Amino acid sequence: MNSARVIGVSKKFGNVTALHHLDLQIGQGEFVALLGPSGCGKTTLLRLLAGFESPTSGEIWINNECVASAAKRKPPEERRIGMVFQSFALWPHLTVYENVAFPLQHQQQVPEAYKQNPKARVAQMLEMVGLGGMEERFPSQLSGGQKQRVALARAIVFNPTLLLMDEPLSSLDAELRMQMRKEIQFIHRELGTSIVYVTHDQSEALAMADRIVVMKGGRVEQAGTPHDIYYAPESPFVAKFVGRANFLKGNWAAANTFLLEKQGASSLPITVSRDFSAFFDQQVLPVRPDQLKLSVWHQGSDGIMGKVAHVQFQGRELIYSIRVGEEEWEVVTDISERFAYDDSVLVSICV
Amino acid sequence: MASNWQTVVSERQMGERRKFAASLSMDKAATWFVLVPVAFFFVYPLWKLIVLSIQTEAGLGLHYFQEVLVNARTWDAVGHTVLAAGISTVISVVVGVALAWLCAYTDIRWKGAIHAFALLPLLIPSYVMTLAWTQLAGPQGVLNRAASWVMGSPVELWNVYGLDGIIVVMGLTHYPLVYMLTLSVLYRIPKELEWAAHSAGASARAVFAKVTLPLALPGIAGGGLLAFISGLDNFGIPAFLGIPENISVLSTLIYEEVIGFGPSAFARAAVLSVLLGVIALAGTGMQWVLLRKSRVDQTSAEDKSIRRSLGKHRLTAEVLVGGFLLVTSLLPLLSMAATAFVKAYGLPFVPENLTWKHFAFVMFDHAGTKGAIGNSLMLASMTGVLCVVAGTLFAYWRIHKPSALGKAMEGAVALPYALPGMVLGLAMILTWIEPIPGWQPGIYGTVWLIMIAYVTRFLILQVKSSTVSIMQVGKEVEEAARINGGRFWTRWRRILLPLYAPGMATGLFLVFLTAFTELTISSLLWSSGSETIGVVIFSFEQAGSTTYSTALSTLIVGAILLVLAAGSLWKRYWQRRIEQ
Repeated sequence: MNSARVIGVSKKFGNVTALHHLDLQIGQGEFVALLGPSGCGKTTLLRLLAGFESPTSGEIWINNECVASAAKRKPPEERRIGMVFQSFALWPHLTVYENVAFPLQHQQQVPEAYKQNPKARVAQMLEMVGLGGMEERFPSQLSGGQKQRVALARAIVFNPTLLLMDEPLSSLDAELRMQMRKEIQFIHRELGTSIVYVTHDQSEALAMADRIVVMKGGRVEQAGTPHDIYYAPESPFVAKFVGRANFLKGNWAAANTFLLEKQGASSLPITVSRDFSAFFDQQVLPVRPDQLKLSVWHQGSDGIMGKVAHVQFQGRELIYSIRVGEEEWEVVTDISERFAYDDSVLVSICV
Repeated sequence: MASNWQTVVSERQMGERRKFAASLSMDKAATWFVLVPVAFFFVYPLWKLIVLSIQTEAGLGLHYFQEVLVNARTWDAVGHTVLAAGISTVISVVVGVALAWLCAYTDIRWKGAIHAFALLPLLIPSYVMTLAWTQLAGPQGVLNRAASWVMGSPVELWNVYGLDGIIVVMGLTHYPLVYMLTLSVLYRIPKELEWAAHSAGASARAVFAKVTLPLALPGIAGGGLLAFISGLDNFGIPAFLGIPENISVLSTLIYEEVIGFGPSAFARAAVLSVLLGVIALAGTGMQWVLLRKSRVDQTSAEDKSIRRSLGKHRLTAEVLVGGFLLVTSLLPLLSMAATAFVKAYGLPFVPENLTWKHFAFVMFDHAGTKGAIGNSLMLASMTGVLCVVAGTLFAYWRIHKPSALGKAMEGAVALPYALPGMVLGLAMILTWIEPIPGWQPGIYGTVWLIMIAYVTRFLILQVKSSTVSIMQVGKEVEEAARINGGRFWTRWRRILLPLYAPGMATGLFLVFLTAFTELTISSLLWSSGSETIGVVIFSFEQAGSTTYSTALSTLIVGAILLVLAAGSLWKRYWQRRIEQ
């Protein structure tokens, strides 16, 4: 059974088409990340699920009920969905307790036990997000991270089956973001709620999601597990947007053989084991920066020779820009062996 | 399996389909719901006014324009109007900019008190302030009596009656407009821009002339134009200081035409109104263009840090500013209060001459005053309540459903306020005697027409105040309430109203105070039984009952100060709850 289904949904704003006939299923308890650059339609899709917008065509089903089509729309207040907003959207004139208790008073089908004893339920939720005892504070007395925890508690307090999150970590600083990721994972594990998580930060999506849906221009570019998305991108866009990728030039001799262009010499054949058909048109091979290895270049070595153009020290890793012929490749290595500017290096490709 | 529950569910939803379909066409209904009243209440009266000015016995024509334009009195009035509004604007700009710069940039002390005093002329009705000035600088005023006492023989240092008095009092009444707009622009000029000029070698004077002033200029010019428009609009000052000396400006000339009730009086008044309206709208248009041209981002944060130290000149500046504010706001009001306490007008202010009886008379004995206080309270409350409901809903609709039509309608709602009050008053008479051919609602001459006129004129004040609050509350705050199950009334009651309250209350205060002490429109629309406080004070003054007019005015000033104090206390309490 699915928690939510999007069937052939299109959305137009005037002349602009934000979503093109899009299909999506969110399984029960699944953590789905909608990933894409701004303007790709991911937020529009989330707002359609929430009910703030109506689809131009197609249908949206939530928990086996059609909540929206071109003709009708069930308003957000009747959908019984939890949602965390980018700006937290806490009500500044209400205390933490009043904020979190609001859904218990107004949401539909709230478990009777919570309704009877909202104090206990709110206390339990605040404990869960690490804010025990802060009931009487006002939002303005909280730090950014604490506000986000209150927003999270408010979204899950009534046991929703579906939780929508709209770039919830984008207004927090880097350290807090890492910490909140763990807490969101913890909550997902504890509650088993389906989560639709909108983000433009690929590392957030890779870190938390069961499934990533990469979107571009109102269409799904690729959907799959984080591992698939990272190691088996099916389009140049996905390869570039999720993690970084070098596009090595050459040509595809066969479905499993790529002939790498080599300056002043015969081309170098590279054998691949998975399907790269999406890259045949452009005659490129996508290679992640960590799929390139560097070693010392000896006179007469056989292989690809490059020169170090830039080195950036990052603490636990080094980011090199290696000039190979006309191209510049990005390479990430650990710090065990270090090369300096202008060193000649041997580049090997491990795909 | 899947098809099974799909049919069940869609059967249940068939019933709801109609409801959802209805909600989609709600937007359209809302548009009409706004459009029709806006057109009827705000645009139609002005149309009627224009039609009357070009309607003659022989059909449409410019006969009355010709008649009015060849009359020397018209040109006298136009000249006085432009002179009074023009020169008073110069005074307003000089005072307003100097005060704004001192408060925004320098380390002058008691800024809060300066600010409060500077805003006073906007909150106390101009005719009350004018009455106060006549008690300070009239022929029998404190100033001239003190001078005579010093010299030992009767001398007249300065007489506030006449065109020069109109100009001075007008300038001192309208400088807060320039002060406010300039202050807000100055706060928003990033100080890095000035630092950059300093580090590029510019002197303090050069920084002011080449960076600060050009950036602040649109704000200053906008404030100046607003002062100019207010000068055209003002009726109280020229009525109190000009009519006794036979000096007319356009607003008092229209008033005299209408109450003169001669044949074709309304038509001639309509022509004058069109003239005055066109001048005022041209000013408003220019002001609008200037504000749009402003290069200082109105949404950027205010920087209230001190940018210039006055050093050893600080005390001098403080004494000058303090002296100016005391002489121009406190002293006239005290002179007025003093007159209200003496037994008979002209007696010296010594203990044996003092009495409460004028206050007692206006409060308890004079039926007209009692009725007027009741009328004004009722008018101000009803207008305030109607405006706070309609204005907030309109502002909400404007912000959440932005459209070109909405913008045009906001322009229409702003029109009656941009036009001089006298012009609107006349348009109201012309419209509401017979709004639709064949329908005479019979409200002409009653307080209800005054109330309609007030709502028409002051609604924009509420719309603007509510807009400020509604803009500050992000869209997500309401969406969070929706997604958590909050239905329409829940959302408004628990989330939106508490958050919009500061802006709504500010607007309510502003509309209430303005309507409570309004004079221009009611001077045209009142009849026996529907007097307002303004009309009664004006009548006392015209009848020479200065002790009564000053007593009532003193009471009004006291009431205004009380309301303001209560309002600012409430606001402080409420803001603290939200912002902590």
